[in-house]
Amino acid sequence: MKDLLRIKSLISSEIETLLNQQVKKEAYSSSVYLSMASWCNRNGYDFSSEYFFKQAEEERHHQLKFYKYILDMGGNAVSPEVTGIKQEYNSFREVFEEALDQEISVTNSIKNIYARCMKDQDFVTMEFLNWFLKEQREEEYKARRALELFEVIGEEGTGRWQIDKHVGQIKYDSEA
Amino acid sequence: MITTVVELDQWTDVFQTSAGAIYQSDAERCWYVDFAGKVAKFDYRCLLKLRKAVYHIDIEQALLNTTKDPDVEIIFICACDHCYVLSLLQIIALKELLEGTFVMLELNHIIHDRLYNLPL
Repeated sequence: MKDLLRIKSLISSEIETLLNQQVKKEAYSSSVYLSMASWCNRNGYDFSSEYFFKQAEEERHHQLKFYKYILDMGGNAVSPEVTGIKQEYNSFREVFEEALDQEISVTNSIKNIYARCMKDQDFVTMEFLNWFLKEQREEEYKARRALELFEVIGEEGTGRWQIDKHVGQIKYDSEA
Repeated sequence: MITTVVELDQWTDVFQTSAGAIYQSDAERCWYVDFAGKVAKFDYRCLLKLRKAVYHIDIEQALLNTTKDPDVEIIFICACDHCYVLSLLQIIALKELLEGTFVMLELNHIIHDRLYNLPL
């Protein structure tokens, strides 16, 4: 009897489900960042708004990367439904706290898929995920650095204006 | 009747229960589901969709449901020629059949990996 499932698809249906969940997670992240960009813009934090617009774009790019990978491997990529996006934030700081939470949750989720791939010896998907693991280093660094600015600059006086100005300059160019 | 026998000869038995059976045709690269009084042909995508549709039915909820609606589920699969109208007991039987089938296909995959796809 031929192994028809393997002929049709390189990835197992469990991995496919996990990757589709990740597609949804990335789409959700992208929408959250878009909402943060809107909030920052409405409240006068233009540099941060621009920063979140860029982040939203990046998350969308990640989403498409997963999406195309599933299709290329013979799987069924599912266009996700994204709901429940928070539109209002209590403070400027809260926006960045939630941005970091969001990135931590994405990192965990990718680690989870990686662990499953290891169990299944799906080295092809593991290799694909390596790019994302490296990307998460940058994402988490940037989110953590933004929060750090609140500590080192302080929110008093023109602090928030200063923080906003510096958020736009956060870069990660480590060679490590 | 004779044609059925000839066809069955080319099909490999994947999994059988008292309620039905699923066969694989290597030549056509598809599966034949013998269930609820008919033999229906499913390709890879449709078989996965059938599995998803059947697994998606909340059997416990249907059993606890005390309304007077008949316990009938219509399984309609998009872009597939077949449709099932099944009672709750049939759904349980079909679910069992599909679960067994996918375990066997998985087993077949493992055997292929271990026996035929060995790196030289």
